[in-house]
Amino acid sequence: MAQKSIDYKGNTFEISYEILNPKSNINFIVLHGWGSNKTLMKKVFSPYIKEFRHIYIDLPGFGNSTALVALDSYDYKNILELFLTEIGASKDIIAGHSFGGKVATLLQPKLLVLLSSAGIYISKSLHVKTKIALFKFLKLFGLAKFRSLFVADDAKQLTPQMYETFKIVVNEDFTSVFESFPNKALLFWGDKDSATPLSSAKKIQTFIKDSSLEIFDGDHYFFMHYPQQICKLIKSTYEMDKRK
Amino acid sequence: MKLIILFGGASFEHEISIVSAITVKEKLQNSFELEFVFCDQDHTFYLVPAEKMKSKTFSSGEHKKFQKLQLSHGCFSFTKMFSKGEVFGTILNLIHGADGEDGTIASILDFYGFSFIGPRVDASVFSYDKRYTKMLAKEKGVKYIQYEVLHNKEQKDIELSLPVIIKPVRLGSSIGVSIVKEMDELDYALDVAYEFDSSVIVEPFIEGVKEYNLAGYIANRELHLSIVEEPQKQEFLDFEKKYMDFSRSSHVNQADISDELIAKLQNAFKMIYTDMFEGALIRCDFFVIDDEVYLNEINPIPGSMANYLFDDFAKAIEDLANSLPQKKRAQVKYEYIDSISKAKGK
Repeated sequence: MAQKSIDYKGNTFEISYEILNPKSNINFIVLHGWGSNKTLMKKVFSPYIKEFRHIYIDLPGFGNSTALVALDSYDYKNILELFLTEIGASKDIIAGHSFGGKVATLLQPKLLVLLSSAGIYISKSLHVKTKIALFKFLKLFGLAKFRSLFVADDAKQLTPQMYETFKIVVNEDFTSVFESFPNKALLFWGDKDSATPLSSAKKIQTFIKDSSLEIFDGDHYFFMHYPQQICKLIKSTYEMDKRK
Repeated sequence: MKLIILFGGASFEHEISIVSAITVKEKLQNSFELEFVFCDQDHTFYLVPAEKMKSKTFSSGEHKKFQKLQLSHGCFSFTKMFSKGEVFGTILNLIHGADGEDGTIASILDFYGFSFIGPRVDASVFSYDKRYTKMLAKEKGVKYIQYEVLHNKEQKDIELSLPVIIKPVRLGSSIGVSIVKEMDELDYALDVAYEFDSSVIVEPFIEGVKEYNLAGYIANRELHLSIVEEPQKQEFLDFEKKYMDFSRSSHVNQADISDELIAKLQNAFKMIYTDMFEGALIRCDFFVIDDEVYLNEINPIPGSMANYLFDDFAKAIEDLANSLPQKKRAQVKYEYIDSISKAKGK
């Protein structure tokens, strides 16, 4: 593992990362999802496509990387852009899971790999809307201490800054970002995904002109069970594109 | 004799401290009445039953069910529902890395008046930071390898020619250490070290350099030295190998070197140890280049206490425990205030 300091908008972000197969010159950059970290992604993908230089990154605020202020997805993109320039890594292939998929798309790699990507706005259920309304009502009476009863599981362990970040990024709609993505994208999805449902995948596939979708049996973390198939397709697609 | 093995700590070497403690337990359990005090990463102390001294106990979190301990004057104490208890004894500080070797534990034990085996505050400071180790060597007239220091907040080219070895300045083991043979590897190697420390030390990497380890301590005003070991030759130990290294317990043989070289190594050890490391059993790692001895690093709490270098390890610990330095503490008698009060006639 390694760490680099990145200065962005007056704040310093310590970015923790790890490089495998350092002598290769084609980069395979992997971004984890919300609440996850590079270690999980490395465990899944490191045994495959060793002809690429693997770069595993902890996104600011996750794993061993720091974020002392709230960020939106564009901030994440800008920080990673600075980081990739610092380590001299061209954006050949970037794979992103869930929230990492949004950041990967913004970075506009030559080949984009989306693993159950977030980015399609799903309106909050009546249940969630009721909870938010009730909490805002309680807050009027100074009862904010009951917050933990209302907060989503994804947000419970978060620092206040990361909770702000959470609220910002779940409300982003990436339709136009997907529509303007200029390069090739490979979409991989689990058919039983309840966090980013298969319907999102089908939308993204129509938004990104040059894209294909592979569906697997599994949930939001389906890719942990099919790294070999996924990597094989990444490799053949990248090599075919290069020949064009 | 009672001995409390203190291990764990909030350190990158937390896990190797556990391995060390288990190994030392095996070596000392027939000679001492042992107690085991675990310092968790949140700085809570737990009293660990001897039969629970297994690495799984800590990785599974089972230790959290054990008796919590507080620091009291000269002992650890605890309160149960209707009773109070105390854990007395000389402490063997076996916390590697931060907390144990950086002076934190030494300060606390001194402050609370414990009798302990381990480096004192000043000894910790000089051995924990590789820059200060070089200063100490210089002051004591022991040779050391030339070096450069880099900081993660500044851009600076290195002046040493490749290959170089890069180390975080304040880590005892080989965590975060890389060898750089080609220029394009340098940036990543620096970032690897920066994960652990904001400053790194760069030294020339000398292929095939002869390395010798020597451990020792002063007891009854006499320096007791271990045999000289030539550690097995690898470029350097990575974390997994280091982990194994910390559980070593089988005795090794004296390195096959001349008496003259042994004397040189022993002399360098004596210069470093004397008037600084009293109370600790330390291991010094030396390089030998053209028959000259260079200090590489000081381990003031060596892995598993370098037990494998001593013929009678239990005896060594006992001797050391019986001649620990006592911290001089000022006696406050209020003579000054009293005399002023008298002068004022109050």
